[in-house]
Amino acid sequence: MEYVDLIPVLSAESDARLQAVANTSTDGMLIVDVDGRVRFVNPAAEGLLRRRAVDLIGQIFGLPIVISEAAEISLIQADGKLIATEMRTAAIVWERMPAQMIVLRDLTEQRRTQEALRDAEGFSRAILNSLTQHIAVLDESGTIILANDAWRQFAIENGDPQLTTTGVGANYFAVCAESRGENADEASDVLQGMRRVLQGEIPVFELEYPCNSPGEDRWFQLRAVPLHGQRRGLVISHMNITDQRRNAQDAAESAALREQLLARERELVAIGSLSSAERRPAGLAYVQRNDLPIRGSQFRLFQEYVASYTELLEMVVDERGFAVKNTDVPVRALASRLGALHASARDVVEIHLSSLRTCSVGAASSRQQAYLEEGRVLLLQLMGYLVAYYRDDLVG
Amino acid sequence: MSIIVLQLFIAGRTPRTEHAIATLRQLIELRLTGYPCELVIVDVLTDPQQAEERHILATPTLIKVAPLPQRRIIGDLADADGLLAALSLPSLPLA
Repeated sequence: MEYVDLIPVLSAESDARLQAVANTSTDGMLIVDVDGRVRFVNPAAEGLLRRRAVDLIGQIFGLPIVISEAAEISLIQADGKLIATEMRTAAIVWERMPAQMIVLRDLTEQRRTQEALRDAEGFSRAILNSLTQHIAVLDESGTIILANDAWRQFAIENGDPQLTTTGVGANYFAVCAESRGENADEASDVLQGMRRVLQGEIPVFELEYPCNSPGEDRWFQLRAVPLHGQRRGLVISHMNITDQRRNAQDAAESAALREQLLARERELVAIGSLSSAERRPAGLAYVQRNDLPIRGSQFRLFQEYVASYTELLEMVVDERGFAVKNTDVPVRALASRLGALHASARDVVEIHLSSLRTCSVGAASSRQQAYLEEGRVLLLQLMGYLVAYYRDDLVG
Repeated sequence: MSIIVLQLFIAGRTPRTEHAIATLRQLIELRLTGYPCELVIVDVLTDPQQAEERHILATPTLIKVAPLPQRRIIGDLADADGLLAALSLPSLPLA
């Protein structure tokens, strides 16, 4: 047999082999002739187009043009639905004629995954932007690769409106290294701390620093932690801790005031004890006929006196700083009422302490201090009038 | 030469389809200068009937309706030379 006679046989065998391979492929495969007419369709392509091979063969699909490796096209299914596919082509010989093999890969799943990834990225970014902390992510060279809205906003409002030194793309290590002036030492510490975290020497670096603005004294906490994941890097956060520091300072002042109050209480209780029956001066012993403290024996009255005293105390604190104080009359009146009950110094001290405790609850530390100072004067004033009351009584 | 009628089937307005349209318009303006030319754009999303009548199986599809013989191509429409060759249209060299 001549070679020429063998060509149809060899060609048919070659077509059969190609067809066998195409029929097992999960990618859609079409063979079109030079006019773009469909000559062969594999089962996967039938599935992608939702059409039977017998309905497709002979129809013009079109001549494929692919500039690079693959082109993206949309297939129109029999029901009109569109499906995104990637198209690759190869020039072949089919039935002894030049033809184009078109390979179609369904991109639906890939698109879905990409969309899910985009959603997840968008979600993560939304979370990041919802945080009030100023957060930036640095790569291992110190370049800012991501910053949240709070970070950008703070930079814009605090001297970097174009985000040239603290925006994405800027090098935060260089910013710290080049820092001059009063913040240079802190910037150097921060740079060293960030590098140590990056090298795994320490798990976290934290620094509290003042960052005052023209209208406000502010404190911030810088925190640098390693970026978890495949990429090496750092997550830097700056948090405004002015309120926390102010609260801590207030708490410390309140504790100191409480200690002062307790010390005064101890002093006054000691004074009260001195004025009790055993150590009572002879003159006062005569008029103090009631040995039982008012708080124990006449609690309702005691409460009334505490309320009156508290009113006076609030008044003197409110009028603090004004030269004239109109408390003489009401203090004298209170002293007279106490004297009528034969109140002792201990009673007055107890009224004073009870009132101080009532006033101080929930008050700012500066007002607590004022209660202490003004209360001391008020107590002495009341004591003085009470002594005068007894003296007059004695003389009378 | 008789009028050249081109029909482009697209699926919605995406950056990719906008790019294909721009390429075609540029091709008509620069490479088919002097030939009467008509470009009809059919969006299969808003006009599925036409796609069905013309048995369009994929987008983007460009059909040279006239002059005969009709030619139909699919895929990347960004290569002007490739397009002209595939459509069997005369190519004028760029000035």
